[in-house]
Amino acid sequence: MTFLRTFLVVLLLIPAAFDLPARAQQPPPQQQDEFIPIEKLPPQDQLPAAPLLVAAYSFVALALFAYVVSVARRLGSVQQELNRLESELKRSGRT
Amino acid sequence: MPKWFTPAVVICGLMFAVAPILIAEAPYESTMGLVQKIFYVHLPSAWMFLLAAITCGVASVRYLFRGNPRQDRIAWSAAELAVLFGAITLVTGPLWARKAWGTWWQWDVRLTSSLMGWMVAVAYLLLRKYGGPGSDKLAAGLALFGMANVPFVYISVNYWRTIHPTTNVVPTLPTSFGVPLWFSAVTFLLLFVLLLRMRIRLEEQRTRLDALYLAMDEHR
Repeated sequence: MTFLRTFLVVLLLIPAAFDLPARAQQPPPQQQDEFIPIEKLPPQDQLPAAPLLVAAYSFVALALFAYVVSVARRLGSVQQELNRLESELKRSGRT
Repeated sequence: MPKWFTPAVVICGLMFAVAPILIAEAPYESTMGLVQKIFYVHLPSAWMFLLAAITCGVASVRYLFRGNPRQDRIAWSAAELAVLFGAITLVTGPLWARKAWGTWWQWDVRLTSSLMGWMVAVAYLLLRKYGGPGSDKLAAGLALFGMANVPFVYISVNYWRTIHPTTNVVPTLPTSFGVPLWFSAVTFLLLFVLLLRMRIRLEEQRTRLDALYLAMDEHR
């Protein structure tokens, strides 16, 4: 039982023993000593917000508009067919 | 259409005209700046997406147990709205994330479960369109999974480590951010009700059309 306990403790300590020197070798985080204007960043690091915002709002407007038009068109065609059938039924009922 | 429909359309139109003014006047968020304004359409559309999934699920349960065709019409209409508002949520979210998080998409629990819920709604519609006879009951069963996913989508951010903001953000919003958000949410809710009513009307008219065709066949 004691052997098993010792074995488990050693097993737990091994990764820590390997990890500590690695952490000790890590350089400390660099302090910022200057501000860089966003215009001086390379183009791939500059990401303007406006096109993303415009794209989001345009998509919302287009999606809602397309859906309203789609439902209105479907409703219109069903209504048209209903009217046609109803008048046909009335006519056939009279004759 | 019911009497309240036209005045509600006018009110909704006016609210959609006023909402951009409130959103434009809202302050910029300190770390995200301009792109955070996507929040005012992303969050209300996400709420409507979840509301549509719940509506579809509840109507499906009632259809399965009571067999009321009106509930089936409500479920079908709500599923379509779940696809619409889900698509808006899933498109506006990555547009915001690209700037705020530096990535379009992350396979974290909130985003993945939302996508899953949207795919369930799409599957519902495909099943109704191409499933043939009996697909109504099968689709109603599928809608239950869509509804069961809703609480998971909502609380997931509080239990799993994710870069998506938690549900604590909205209750702690300052008034300057809260007013445009809640105004936008009420506008989206009104739009949801109007679209649902319009879509149910379409199903009602289709049912009438089927009944007329049957009557004509009997007449012949």
